[in-house]
Amino acid sequence: MRIASRGLLVLAAVLAAGYPWMVPNYYLVYAGALTVMYAAMATSWNILGGFTGYVSIGHSAFFGLGAYGTGLMVTRWDLPWTAALPASALLVTAFAVLVGIAAVRVRGASFVIVSIALVSMTNLVVQGWRSLTGGSTGLQVPSPFPGLHRGQGHIVFFYLFLALLALALLSWWFIGRSRFGAGLRAIREDEDKAESLGVPTAALKVAAFALSALFVALAGGLYALWFGSLDPIFVFSILTSSYMVLMSLLGGVRHLFGPLLGALIIAPAGEYFLIALGETQIHLTATGVLLVLVVLFMPEGIIARLAGRRAGAPSIPEESAGQRLQGVAR
Amino acid sequence: MTSLRTEGLTKAFGGVLAVDGATVEIRDGGINGLIGPNGSGKTTFFNLITGMIRPDSGRVSYRGRDITRHSPHRVAQAGIGRTFQLCRIFPRLSVLENMLVAVRRTRLRELLAGLHDRGEVERARHWLRRMGIDHLERAEARDLSYGQQKLLELAAVLMAEPELVLLDEPAGGVNPALIDRLVTLVRDLNAEGHTFLVVEHNMDMVMGMCDHVIVFDRGAPIAEGPPSIVRSDPRVLEAYLGV
Amino acid sequence: MSLLLQGLALGVLTGGLYALLASGLSLYFGVMRVVMVAHPAFLFLAAYLAYTMHTAFAADPFLTLPVTVPVFFALGVAVQRLLLARLAPDNLAMMSVLLTFGIALTIEGLLGTVYTGSYKSISMDYATRSLTVGGVHLPYDKIIAFLVAAITLAALFAVLIRSRFGQALRATIQHREAARLVGIHTERVAGYGFGVGLATAAVGGTVLALITPFLPASHWAWIGKLMAIIVVGGLGSVAGAALAAVVLGVVEGLVLVTIDATWATMMFYVFLFLTLLVRPQGFFGGRLAHRF
Repeated sequence: MRIASRGLLVLAAVLAAGYPWMVPNYYLVYAGALTVMYAAMATSWNILGGFTGYVSIGHSAFFGLGAYGTGLMVTRWDLPWTAALPASALLVTAFAVLVGIAAVRVRGASFVIVSIALVSMTNLVVQGWRSLTGGSTGLQVPSPFPGLHRGQGHIVFFYLFLALLALALLSWWFIGRSRFGAGLRAIREDEDKAESLGVPTAALKVAAFALSALFVALAGGLYALWFGSLDPIFVFSILTSSYMVLMSLLGGVRHLFGPLLGALIIAPAGEYFLIALGETQIHLTATGVLLVLVVLFMPEGIIARLAGRRAGAPSIPEESAGQRLQGVAR
Repeated sequence: MTSLRTEGLTKAFGGVLAVDGATVEIRDGGINGLIGPNGSGKTTFFNLITGMIRPDSGRVSYRGRDITRHSPHRVAQAGIGRTFQLCRIFPRLSVLENMLVAVRRTRLRELLAGLHDRGEVERARHWLRRMGIDHLERAEARDLSYGQQKLLELAAVLMAEPELVLLDEPAGGVNPALIDRLVTLVRDLNAEGHTFLVVEHNMDMVMGMCDHVIVFDRGAPIAEGPPSIVRSDPRVLEAYLGV
Repeated sequence: MSLLLQGLALGVLTGGLYALLASGLSLYFGVMRVVMVAHPAFLFLAAYLAYTMHTAFAADPFLTLPVTVPVFFALGVAVQRLLLARLAPDNLAMMSVLLTFGIALTIEGLLGTVYTGSYKSISMDYATRSLTVGGVHLPYDKIIAFLVAAITLAALFAVLIRSRFGQALRATIQHREAARLVGIHTERVAGYGFGVGLATAAVGGTVLALITPFLPASHWAWIGKLMAIIVVGGLGSVAGAALAAVVLGVVEGLVLVTIDATWATMMFYVFLFLTLLVRPQGFFGGRLAHRF
């Protein structure tokens, strides 16, 4: 069993790595890179959402800040992209720590409100600060690989995003089996109870929030280098966060590969809609309806559904427990 | 040696004084009962000690260290564990994970360490065995019966290695056989060095189990002493019966 | 000085409108502890319907109200009974946000498909002039918006305070279990509560169409603003939200005339964060926000 699943994992990794060489045209490479980017972001979102149960619709703020940070460092400071990308991601992470300290003080619906406000605020600042960001006219970022033609660029960024995805998956996996992760899951289940058992919930929440912002910021930075042109309306779009949420929920927030699975479904579907229906707004409706359906009928996600419902509630009769009690009474 | 000490602890909700200048001293090594009529401030008193709510005034100290206004996890790390009135466990974690959450983690290295550390798992199984629920370690906690959940809650609290354990109505909603078992368990644990402070309405349990009883009325202690003396104290009868 | 007066006057007028726009949100939160993210999307749905009325029949946009108000009421009941009531109670807060978020996306997509993504506006000739009182210019459209909002809110409060339904609704808001015990059909009441909330969106959206150009994505900007209002007012308190709306409207108006539009909008978020940090239960009554 263990060997089988390991083999499956290797096979999937090989397939992913070979993908750009297996498809007939560069468009499919582009679509693949986009899908992997979303998968990386959704997995990263799930470091917060999946473990702690805190649903953030604000992660596009980190995507946008990562993109603008990288873009500005490359254009204004002439930093090489290899320095600008991690530097801006670290700055965004530091920012996320500050925001997190305020945001995770509130729970449930209030946290969602705060996360939405975060996107609106950052969007407003970037649009308003024209002298730095170019405002609504946007920001042009020179390509980091001027020697490559567009299609080759897609291939390079496919692998960059793939590396990011691997990093995010590894982090999730590692957290999942650590005491840190157990603390986060306890927060999801009952925050006050976790506190009373000695779990420093506030610090853990902020750490999860910042870590999940870090990978999203890296994705944003890569996106800026890849597309070369940033528009605040698009980069800070709440739609980006809703995709992260939708993908994670659809796949299953409690599973390592849940968000990845969701991304493999949603992102190609989105591209397909774009081709089949043209540049209309109907894809928003499709996304919306899908979100409603997932929330109503499959909030645990596909993986949980496939793994079968909990094999009923394993019935543990009170009597047997009582008898056992007597048995162990010294 | 003094275990827990509160001085003039006060908390008001709106205009109502829930705890009103409570000064209490708990000595190390005993089983202390905290009784009083409904609304006399017992649970609020617990919440004030454990940092779940902040006092308006007054101090809490534990083993000579001031822990007033410390956040709940710091109070827990100082060595005070507690259970809740309506038992609280992590419903969608397995029984074993419920236990391992309580493993202390303060340094980064401890945080990043694997959850299923062999020594800790063995310790968790030891406590589960003592509660008689070790056969359920893989079950999700929400699938346990209420009595089993109460035992799990206590086991998880003990997993955090507290010296002082606060129990909020341990006998509430529990069948008589289990109450007897709980009493035995508390006595055994006490003999092993745990100090207890128990809020309980079941008088038979309190009087039979505790060696020191504190009576609360209107947010402050009105009497204390060994059960036999408290039982016949006129102030206590007045508080309970209103005569 | 007259600039400040101007800002103050405009602030009061827009604050009145904000009070109407946010009242529905407070109702939803009150009856079901649900943050209804789709409320602004419904506002703009109403705005577009008024726009259609205006362009297709050259009629006054307010004439759509006899149609949209009952339709929106029914929609609200349907949303509550058919969608929100199905959610599992243990994670209602998060899931309801996602659900209504999905509804908002659905509406935005439909509006974009039908009306395209470009700006639309309704300009009535009475709305372009303004009233001048002591050096302060008050545009008629803002005055009309304020009056409509005031009348609607007065009607809403009358319903909440006087009618049997209002009593049942307030009982449900204050203590659902207790309300059920005294024989109130809390499920049905919650459905009607949603209906009333969405009916206010029909009125609010129509008014909004008069005073500002709009496009399908406009609702995003309003989510943050209106959320800020109900949090500052105290989640679940209709009166608190109304007060906070006027206060924030005035603050916005003053910042608008003294600094600029970006900072005027930013004020909402500043107040939102300050409220959550300093006084999460809101400033005008209401409940502990961070519990929900």
